[in-house]
Amino acid sequence: MPEPILEVSGLVKHYPLTQGILFKKQVGAVGAVDGVDFALGRGETLGIVGESGCGKSTVAKMLVSLERPTAGAIRYKGEDITRLSGRALKAVRRNIQMVFQDPYTSLNPRMTVGDIIGEPYEIHPEAAPKGDRRRRVQELLDVVGLNPEYINRYPHQFSGGQRQRIGIARGLALRPEIIVADEPVSALDVSVQAQVVNLLDRLQSEFDLSYLFIAHDLSIVRHISDRVAVMYLGRIVETGTEAEIYDHPTHPYTQALLSAVPVPDPEARGHRERIILSGDVPSPTNVPSGCRFRTRCWKADERCAVDVPVLAVPEVFRHTTGPAAHASACHFATEWATGPAV
Amino acid sequence: MLLEVRDLHVEFRTRDGVAKAVNGVSYGVDAGETLAVLGESGSGKSVTAQAVMGILDTPPGRITGGQILFQGKDLLKLKEGERRRVRGAQLAMIFQDALSSLNPVLPVGDQLGEMFVVHRGMSKKDARAKAVELMDRVRIPAARERVRQYPHQFSGGMRQRIMIAMALALEPALIIADEPTTALDVTVQAQVMDLLAELQREYRMGLILITHDLGVVADVADRIAVMYAGRIVEQAPVRDIYKTPAHPYTRGLLESIPRLDAKGRELYAIKGLPPNLMDIPPGCAFHPRCPMARDVCRTDAPALHQVADHRVSACHFWRECLDA
Repeated sequence: MPEPILEVSGLVKHYPLTQGILFKKQVGAVGAVDGVDFALGRGETLGIVGESGCGKSTVAKMLVSLERPTAGAIRYKGEDITRLSGRALKAVRRNIQMVFQDPYTSLNPRMTVGDIIGEPYEIHPEAAPKGDRRRRVQELLDVVGLNPEYINRYPHQFSGGQRQRIGIARGLALRPEIIVADEPVSALDVSVQAQVVNLLDRLQSEFDLSYLFIAHDLSIVRHISDRVAVMYLGRIVETGTEAEIYDHPTHPYTQALLSAVPVPDPEARGHRERIILSGDVPSPTNVPSGCRFRTRCWKADERCAVDVPVLAVPEVFRHTTGPAAHASACHFATEWATGPAV
Repeated sequence: MLLEVRDLHVEFRTRDGVAKAVNGVSYGVDAGETLAVLGESGSGKSVTAQAVMGILDTPPGRITGGQILFQGKDLLKLKEGERRRVRGAQLAMIFQDALSSLNPVLPVGDQLGEMFVVHRGMSKKDARAKAVELMDRVRIPAARERVRQYPHQFSGGMRQRIMIAMALALEPALIIADEPTTALDVTVQAQVMDLLAELQREYRMGLILITHDLGVVADVADRIAVMYAGRIVEQAPVRDIYKTPAHPYTRGLLESIPRLDAKGRELYAIKGLPPNLMDIPPGCAFHPRCPMARDVCRTDAPALHQVADHRVSACHFWRECLDA
């Protein structure tokens, strides 16, 4: 991995559950994110996959300081941004920008495209002198493949894919080093998704960006990511390079997730081994003891109900370089690695 | 044919003009068969289905031409009362968003039972027993207790199972499922699709599956109809269409899916945007986005050419497309 630009350790976000109106008392907590560690290298794309409620969007919000973590550290170039406030925090935020999922609700319908993309300059006036802003916005429109003459139009005059380009231009306005993209293409039509994925790809090399790419579509994540982290119920259960995760998953949840993805090839019908998980994801207010995945795992035994598996490279693989030598939070990671390929 | 849609035309009259949502769609489904209707938003795939079900918002919608033959009878010629007897009992629909399709203030058991009270004249007590039976069928655990619960007490996957149970209640001959798993997570999507396919086999129902997901289609469909700008541009058995698409739009869709062997390379992207339905391009509606477009495409709308047995393509250059 290249030199890390962002390091996250022990990140936790709990939302309190309260009872009563006047005398609120906390009766529990929703553990949206419950101890997450990862690092993002400079110029790299880290994909985070997981199903709804796994905490991936909460991680994104904490990275851009839209939510304050309950515990843990987010180090940007060595400095813990969770401890910053005021001017220092504002300066860091310039460098970590976000692209949102829904291009329909994330753009203010009463603002022109020029005002939307130029708004970051109002907040960070030092980024561009006043007289220069209009020209910069037009440049940004051009960079994301929109006609610079559209600067006075309103969001409703654009299609979904074009709106997402506007959201991307806004994210780029301050020349950030890191872009956190939360499901940036999932609201788009299939034929338009590829256009936006290609745009993100091009911008990454053009501006030397580091991406944190959050999505539930596993094939798009594979295409765009260098490394992938799989989340389940507030934790990362497996992480490694794109090839390690997709070709040699050693966590049963990753295996189930990958096998459930419909493959666009009718010839594969009936020949594929599919793992159909039973039941639903447990509620984050009442997390199972031991391994969080054990209630849906077909391999779980007594040990899984007691011992919390640690996200680490299994002991026997520590000194090897094979594709199984990546971090997995499963007691049986070594068996999965040597067992039948999925 | 169980259901045959013939040359259907639907338009929406709005303040800004007339949107031509469906422009001469014809397709058919047999008993026990799955037809997947594939298309992007605005392609007319859902509007066609709504016309078949008779739940089109009129106005602003208007069926301006065509026939919908169900078991030989033209549904468009039936009176609303007769139509209602067909709908629910013979024809059922599963919607994408189960949460907004269920009544939030009624227990799910009452909503399931209502089918039997209205169509079969059962007592409330018998209807509730039937509801429990149905919830068992779609494998909702502890059905006897959960029958009294409200929709918000179920997870997304369980709610979609209730929708399936409701559609199956009167053992219809045909089910239309409009993006039934789009709102669900992948692992739950697999459970729900499997259940739907199994029940379809068991009851030998016809199934029209409306979706934009090329993966789901490959797993369950027998035949595929690809729609673009209110028309069917290609219709073929599932294997043929993935192996050798006969329309450049289908080919573009298939190529724009990320593939393992193309990792790191630029994705193929269909250029441009889907057309505005108030202003559909003349000639072939796909020509402004088509890499194969020539002069004739700008002026002449292509007919549906017979490509092979059971295969049609609305492209002037389908031969070239097959060879590519």
